[in-house]
Amino acid sequence: MSVGTSASLATVEEGIPTARERRKAGRTTRIRGSRPGFWVYAILGTVFLSAVFPLYWSFIIGSGDSTTLRKPFPWVPGGNFIDNALSVITNPAVNFWPALWNSIYSSFLIAAAVVITSTLAGWAFAKLRFLGGPALLVFVVATMAVPQQLGVVPLYILFSELGWTGQIGAIIIPALTSAFGVFWMTQYLRQAVPDELIEAARVDGASMIRTFWTVGVTAARPAAAMLFLFTFVGAWNNFFWPFIVLDRQNPTLPVALSLLQSNYFVDYSIVLAGVILATIPLLLLFIFAGKQLVSGIMAGAVKG
Amino acid sequence: MKSRALRRIGIIAGAATTTAIVLAGCTGGGTPTPTSSGDGDTNFEGVELTIATFNDFGYTDELLAEFTEETGITVVHNKAATSNDARANFFQKLGKTGLADVEGVEVDWFTEMMKYSDLVAPVPDDLKGRWLDWKEQAATDANGNLVAYGTDIGPQAICYRGDLFEAAGLPSDRAEVAELFPTWDAFFDVADEYVATTGKPFIDSANSVLQGLVNQLETAYEQPDGTIVATENPDIRAAYDTVVDRAIPIASYPGQWSDDWYASMAGGEFAAMLCPPWMHGIIAGEAPDVTGWDVADAFPEGGGNWGGSYLVVPANGANVEAAQLLADWLTSPETQIKAFNNAGTFPSQPEAQSSADLTGFVNDYFNGAPTGEIGINRANAITVATYKGEKYFQFHDALQNAITRVFDGLEDKETSWNTWVTEVSAF
Amino acid sequence: MTTTTPRPAARTRTPEPGPRQPRVISFSQKLSRWDLKFSPYLYISPFFLMFAVVGLFPIGYTAVISFMDWDLVRNSGEFVGFDQYVWILSQPHFWTALRNTFSIFLLSSVPQLILAIFIAAVLDRHIRAKTFWRMSVLVPYVVAPIAVGLIFNAMFADQSGFINGILQAIGLSAVPWHVEPLWSHVAIATMVNYRWTGYNTLILLAAMQAVNRDYYEAATVDGAGPVRQFFAITMPSLKPTLIFVIITSTIGGLQIFDEPRVFDQFGRGGAAQQWLTITLYLYDIGWGQWNFGRAAAMAWILFVIILLIGLVNLLVTRSLVRDEGLHRELTRRQERQLAKTAKQNVKEDQR
Repeated sequence: MSVGTSASLATVEEGIPTARERRKAGRTTRIRGSRPGFWVYAILGTVFLSAVFPLYWSFIIGSGDSTTLRKPFPWVPGGNFIDNALSVITNPAVNFWPALWNSIYSSFLIAAAVVITSTLAGWAFAKLRFLGGPALLVFVVATMAVPQQLGVVPLYILFSELGWTGQIGAIIIPALTSAFGVFWMTQYLRQAVPDELIEAARVDGASMIRTFWTVGVTAARPAAAMLFLFTFVGAWNNFFWPFIVLDRQNPTLPVALSLLQSNYFVDYSIVLAGVILATIPLLLLFIFAGKQLVSGIMAGAVKG
Repeated sequence: MKSRALRRIGIIAGAATTTAIVLAGCTGGGTPTPTSSGDGDTNFEGVELTIATFNDFGYTDELLAEFTEETGITVVHNKAATSNDARANFFQKLGKTGLADVEGVEVDWFTEMMKYSDLVAPVPDDLKGRWLDWKEQAATDANGNLVAYGTDIGPQAICYRGDLFEAAGLPSDRAEVAELFPTWDAFFDVADEYVATTGKPFIDSANSVLQGLVNQLETAYEQPDGTIVATENPDIRAAYDTVVDRAIPIASYPGQWSDDWYASMAGGEFAAMLCPPWMHGIIAGEAPDVTGWDVADAFPEGGGNWGGSYLVVPANGANVEAAQLLADWLTSPETQIKAFNNAGTFPSQPEAQSSADLTGFVNDYFNGAPTGEIGINRANAITVATYKGEKYFQFHDALQNAITRVFDGLEDKETSWNTWVTEVSAF
Repeated sequence: MTTTTPRPAARTRTPEPGPRQPRVISFSQKLSRWDLKFSPYLYISPFFLMFAVVGLFPIGYTAVISFMDWDLVRNSGEFVGFDQYVWILSQPHFWTALRNTFSIFLLSSVPQLILAIFIAAVLDRHIRAKTFWRMSVLVPYVVAPIAVGLIFNAMFADQSGFINGILQAIGLSAVPWHVEPLWSHVAIATMVNYRWTGYNTLILLAAMQAVNRDYYEAATVDGAGPVRQFFAITMPSLKPTLIFVIITSTIGGLQIFDEPRVFDQFGRGGAAQQWLTITLYLYDIGWGQWNFGRAAAMAWILFVIILLIGLVNLLVTRSLVRDEGLHRELTRRQERQLAKTAKQNVKEDQR
């Protein structure tokens, strides 16, 4: 099934019903053959159970006591979760609420900035022709191949010269751009935006920025949502750089929670109660991001 | 679409504003400089110091509040979760900005710090002699400067399971058990007997024995003048042989702190451990339901030290003198006793040993053993301070790996030794 | 199978006769051309500006100190040329680490990709409670590393581990996860796959969502079953995303660090370096032995390796996945020609 290479601005695919024709024929909700049956849900159920297990395990241990970790897994929760969670929140070494707030807004800013810069750059690399485009893209992808473990050293030198250590800005600034994000949006937009749409918009007299706004931003929504989610989670769980550059009075959540382990004998029921607490905001974000995974976002945009 | 666009713009504007606010955020209030009153005493009223520790040094907020009351200096206590995190943080920032005014340094990475002893402020001469001489000697650099304030030590004794000993036909009374372990040979003989009788391992790990043996040598891998003698030192070879030949057959695991090791602690698999005071809390925490633990006031060849920390004052700090005051106060015998009561960190100051808090300390979990007194006796039995050069832990870790390879059956005794020799010759 | 609506011979005519109007380029046309030529650079500039500051500096720093004997604390060092590179390449541990890295990479990337594509295809369907099922695959990725580390250590411990317990219960012998190199790779690859499969699944799912549903409808009408549709429609449409996933998996897979690090209590890759990966070795030399010059050299050696393998993977992917030409790859000239023709056609239609 190859695609016509018609030079007209007609529909991409010959024989594919246009929107109007489809409406005439009576809209059907069947997408790809039969409605998903038992096997689909069986597979989904298995995937779900195995994916959610660590959360469940953490909850079980987190609702036990200091010995629960080393005993055979009880499979049912103990009764201590609320107590353990409270001791996490009220632990004086763990600045819980400031740390939570710091994590929330720094991760949010980072994710937003990454999505914005990546979508802009991705649009250019995917759909615009300009001198040096391919070379720059290769350069961007190549930078991902340099391991990050040593990056803390020069970054710390830079930020201590600037006098920004101890401030949340030192967490946010280095993370504002992501080569991964640019590459992801580039490949996604390459695939998700038919060139014809852009041509149509241009012929209609739209400027580049309007084309970007109307075509690119709309098409990018599912990918942008996923990128936002991934970046947010990555920033949220990041430990080493915040540990080095922030001070204990102004930490992010992973750094703060790590202090629960500062003892010769570690009570893991409390540590894992902290893990559950730190995961809840992420699960809330899941719901918002997941709703953006909408199929056919560009359907009907290709006009006859 | 328009509203979405507007929303996006709103988000961007909000983000930009927030970022600007965050970045423009004021730094913490400047620390007031100390004022000097006429009679030559410096008044540090209003100064704020930070102290950075890890694990648990026993410095509670109440303890630090006492210091504030006495001197007017407020103390902010930064903690790192583990010694490793603290180490990464310390060396990242040493000589630059960002270290606390007083930093805790563990003995494991203390030797690495000694390379940069010029970057920490020396301890005033009048404090010399406050600590046990081997503790002080390890903190003295090539120029004779004492550069760190000792905090705690880990004088080892033998923790044992009285009930398991009894079941194997061995004495279970503390004093009697103490007589069983005058030398390493005697220790291993008892162990062999136990294993033969019960078929179960005697101690928890082979590498704990390696640690015990090497810490009783005067020269281990390097000499004070810098020459590396690791592979030629007959003592090291002898220690390796001893561990492979005699410790591996009686041990549960090659090394400690693995998941299996923790599980066996909880299940009460082995009968004895070489234990310094800080191990007591770990045993009690991991095996709260086991009742037979006790401590014998003995150690093969007398004594050995395992662990311990120091406090150092970075020389480029903003308030070096005030920091030295804090370090002095925290490592004074009286304060160390208080820390001991808080966290079980055994004092390294001889004067503290006469404190009733220490001599009368009794540990209920360990069958009421007088662990304070035992610690004092074992600390005084330590005669040798192993010289540890800056690469000590690299050599030692590699040797532990060699033991582990033999334990796991990956290489035999000679091959593993040769692998170690090849490995360390690259250092 | 192209069908251009036949145009009259007018097309081959020479330009229309009549007085030639002088071409006045309006301001908006000028703006439009400027727009076309320079705006791409504006689009990429936010990224590159920030990147130049916080991305390039660490990379440059790493490059420079790889040629030096660098002291982290004193922030100084002496130039030693390629000594550090030579030292690394002459270390048996390096080659062991390379072997381990490749082994873990293959054991993790291949199953992960296949599984991710499969699960994404299942999630792409019209299922109830979509958001719930789809987002649940990402849970392994978001659970804090400490919890994942604890769980896997509990599962893969040699004596007291959960898996060995089951194996022994059914009569098989326990697996020496922390002794045998290959088994340690299997365990670590399992940890990696567990954490990253959901991530890749959602990337592929987002891409699958962008495929025009009309194609599937038409294919169903033509009588193609779901499997045929998958290979004929979905896979080719996903090609750019597949390239992305394969390249990022390659880069990530050759840089695996967290999972081997938490696999035992020391974090240095095992007593006989059974699961030492290159990045773990790099970290140990840099942050363990404080030899940043050497660590930097290793980072660059790894960079070269990743580039090579990445290139190989890219070529393989390109040839394996049939490109159905959904998006034409035309040269600039052809596109301009097309645009011109299109404009003319529109004008003609309007006459």
